[in-house]
Amino acid sequence: MSRTIAPRRRFSVKPYLFLLPMLVFAVGFVYYPFLKTCLQSVSTVNFRGEITGFAGFDNFAYLFSRREFSIALENTVKLMAINVPITVVITLGLAWLCSRPHPLHSVYETMFSLPMVVSMASISLIFKVLLNPSVGWLNYALGLDIGWYEDRHTAMSGILLLTIWMGIGFNFLLFLSAFRSLPPDMLGSAALDGAGKFRTLIRIQLPLISPTVLYVVCTNMIQAMMTNGPILILTQGGPSRSTTTLIYLMYTSGYASSNYSLAAAVSMAAFALTLLFSLLLFGMEKRKVHYQ
Amino acid sequence: MKKLTALFLTLSLLLSLSGCALAEEPVRIVFWHSASEAAGALVEKYVKDFNDTVGKEKGIQVEAVFQGAYADSVSKMNGILTAKQFDTLPDVMQLDATGKVSFSSAETAYTVDQALIDHPETDLSSMLAPAMANWQLKGAQLGLPFATSTTVTYYNKTALDAAGFAAPKTLTDVGALAALNADGVTVYAAIPNTPTLANWLGQLGSDLVNNHNGTEGSATELSCIENGALAEFLTAWKALYASGALANKNGSGDEFVAGRQLIMTDSSSKVANMMAKIDGRFELGIAPYLKVSDSSASGATVSGSCLVMFDHGDARKEAAWAFVQYLTSASVQADFAAGTGYLPANKEAQESETWQALIAEYPVYQVGLNQLLETPDTMRSVTVGPSADFYYGIINDISDMLESDLSVEETVDLMANDLGGMLAQYAKANP
Amino acid sequence: MKSKKGEWTLGALAVCLGCLVLFPLFYGLMGAFKSPAEFVAWPPTVLPRSFGYLKNFETVFTQLPMLRYFWNTLVVSVFSTVIKLAIALLAAYAFVYFDFAGKKALFFLLLGTMMLPPDTLTITNYQTVSHLGLLDTYLGIGIVSFVGASQMFMLRQHFLSSPKPIREAAQMDGCGDVRFIAFILTPMSMPLLLTLFLQAFVIQWNAYLWPLLVTNTNEMRTVQIGITMLTTLEGTNYETVLAGAAVALIPAVLLFLFLRKAITRTMSGGAIVG
Repeated sequence: MSRTIAPRRRFSVKPYLFLLPMLVFAVGFVYYPFLKTCLQSVSTVNFRGEITGFAGFDNFAYLFSRREFSIALENTVKLMAINVPITVVITLGLAWLCSRPHPLHSVYETMFSLPMVVSMASISLIFKVLLNPSVGWLNYALGLDIGWYEDRHTAMSGILLLTIWMGIGFNFLLFLSAFRSLPPDMLGSAALDGAGKFRTLIRIQLPLISPTVLYVVCTNMIQAMMTNGPILILTQGGPSRSTTTLIYLMYTSGYASSNYSLAAAVSMAAFALTLLFSLLLFGMEKRKVHYQ
Repeated sequence: MKKLTALFLTLSLLLSLSGCALAEEPVRIVFWHSASEAAGALVEKYVKDFNDTVGKEKGIQVEAVFQGAYADSVSKMNGILTAKQFDTLPDVMQLDATGKVSFSSAETAYTVDQALIDHPETDLSSMLAPAMANWQLKGAQLGLPFATSTTVTYYNKTALDAAGFAAPKTLTDVGALAALNADGVTVYAAIPNTPTLANWLGQLGSDLVNNHNGTEGSATELSCIENGALAEFLTAWKALYASGALANKNGSGDEFVAGRQLIMTDSSSKVANMMAKIDGRFELGIAPYLKVSDSSASGATVSGSCLVMFDHGDARKEAAWAFVQYLTSASVQADFAAGTGYLPANKEAQESETWQALIAEYPVYQVGLNQLLETPDTMRSVTVGPSADFYYGIINDISDMLESDLSVEETVDLMANDLGGMLAQYAKANP
Repeated sequence: MKSKKGEWTLGALAVCLGCLVLFPLFYGLMGAFKSPAEFVAWPPTVLPRSFGYLKNFETVFTQLPMLRYFWNTLVVSVFSTVIKLAIALLAAYAFVYFDFAGKKALFFLLLGTMMLPPDTLTITNYQTVSHLGLLDTYLGIGIVSFVGASQMFMLRQHFLSSPKPIREAAQMDGCGDVRFIAFILTPMSMPLLLTLFLQAFVIQWNAYLWPLLVTNTNEMRTVQIGITMLTTLEGTNYETVLAGAAVALIPAVLLFLFLRKAITRTMSGGAIVG
């Protein structure tokens, strides 16, 4: 954060004025509800969402005693650990493929980035049909007999397939513009040195676009952490809790069951997990990421 | 020309405004419903008919707003109640069982009991007793039944006939069909959930939770453990799984209509939709809800939705009551049943020509109604506070029993622990 | 340097991969032309028997006031995206071009908003919005998405990597902050701004849970709510739902194709040298 283009000068109210609008909305619609959640997590809350007493650590004790909690935690970490690397590798690969000019480049660039405009609701419903073992086409075409969303062993793979697809568009676009903004003379000299394409990618391009990589890893991690919509539409956390994530647990066991203190406790756990991973990533940033 | 038009418009506007001020302003009420497709079209039609007839006469105009699935509508109501924005609530709302607890505690709820005090002349004796009972909570009649259904057994009659089997009556009968398991075809797929488990326990003479399944007071514990009913059911369920006829997954309408699942237990309201999808590929059979064993009672409780009202002042309360009575009248109920597969909640509707003609053409519609009338009135549907949690808890625990091969005793302990814990936690937060 | 053949192999490979990526969408669109019975028939197909079966689309448009939904969604998406970007731009500007007390703390405070799952904030925000009297209004639908921390972050990164002397030169010429932002910084960041606009617009266009909660009347509903309302209690009619999904997709895809062109054009005018 010491990187600044500004000269040091006397106290001025100006920068605060520029920050004011964002601060107002951040406090009003993010931090205020967040603090309320913190408060609810240590309170007794009735089914109308009213705080009726202090509960101390009781809500967390109840949460940790639920069998669903460790399962949800495991599922969430699993989702994150599989989704993020695959998304990064796929989109990075596609962007690299497109980074050189080609007569057809606008065609396939459009194809790769189109998934970003598709709504979660639409694509979840399409996957629901496509992967349906009785009316879906996928099993039939590939000669598979997989229950996908109906089988506890494959439901998570089905969810991953969908969330990875949903992540292609925008991440691809980010990587593509990162590749495109690299100084061409640098690549030119690497080519003159006789470095292969793949080596150029690993040794020169990747380090240069590492801020974008970090950003993509970070945002995707948070998104994977918060996966809820597709699960609500496709599996309702099942079969047998195999796709229950933390946020889904918060939704069913918390909100949908009018147990707001439990919902708050799960939120805090989800938040702690996100914080932990972000700190790890930012620790890495200090050592590995190169800013231009 | 333009000026003239503008002048004309202004004049007519003024005229209509003054006209309104002179004439009696109709009472406008809002109706939230969750009926879509065939049922949705019918509901819109009833609203229009009401506005054109009774409404015109009494000066009432109803505006119907589709609010999505019951769950969406209920969560919207819950949101409004937590924010205490009572003005935002509708006058009349179609509500399913998951909204009962919230509604009954809503500050501005206008229950049927209150409406009957305001309108002592009303006669509700023609309403179907089990359907009425389903919408009572702690002694109060919350609403009137509108879309009434029950759980029945659907079976692929063509396939069963070909193999020489009659319609299955009990879980054991289903087990005997295991031989029909073939490549890509399962006999029966189901995982018990709150209503279906309560039905099977009810057949064994037990409630699922205390206070008469939560209808006479808040449910605080399971009441099927000590009397052995849960263990008895789980034993039967395990035996069925062992026979090979049961797939441990939720039954799927798609599999059934595609002919890849032979038996399905589901709401009686799906008859029409299912026949359309089967499209004549096989003959659809409907039998009463599967019994646990020969010795258990038969039947299943009412499911579906009711109409509840909210208080927005005397004029609108009166209008809401008139509209609710219209929707639960014999003619509307008969017409709605014929168009969807729901059961008429008004006894007079059963004598109507519409219903009689329907029964004559499709006798299968009668199965659900008969079952509803024969089900012992001690069987009640379940009302618990943490409804979603409880629902998935039952599904997951019973499914785990089969998947991980737990003993019946272990599963009973597990359920007592999981489900009992949820009820205790809820009771603690909501004394 | 590359051989012609290699280039075409690369192109063909990329287009094949593109088709693979887009296949689910194609499958969904084709499904919208199927009849209910055709849908459950075995074996399943990708293509419908004919494209003459339009009843699903008819259902979508007759059952729902689709055009009204489109209009609502468009209004909300455009105005809330513009506000979101403007707010993020101002904040990024402050962080890059000024030094002030509490800068680091404020930066992380704003960036931290990204880490709080929006689903956990819904109930309280609903109460706030209803107390402000914004239920069933465009502002009520859009207001919770005005904070764009990731947009702020991207803009900051972009400003940091832009040539430093620009602002000094501008200040020398007597150009104030507002004019600098409006006439120099904004045009300079156009490709990025368009990309961010596209992203934020699409997210808003596709928002589901929040608009569902704060709209009570038919007049204020958005497209996504509309299409999910096509699922029925009697069972999902996939073909109708797919038709709804296809209809809801069209405006977003059109905007995408339009902006894509603009983005690539502005992008290639900048850093890229053939």
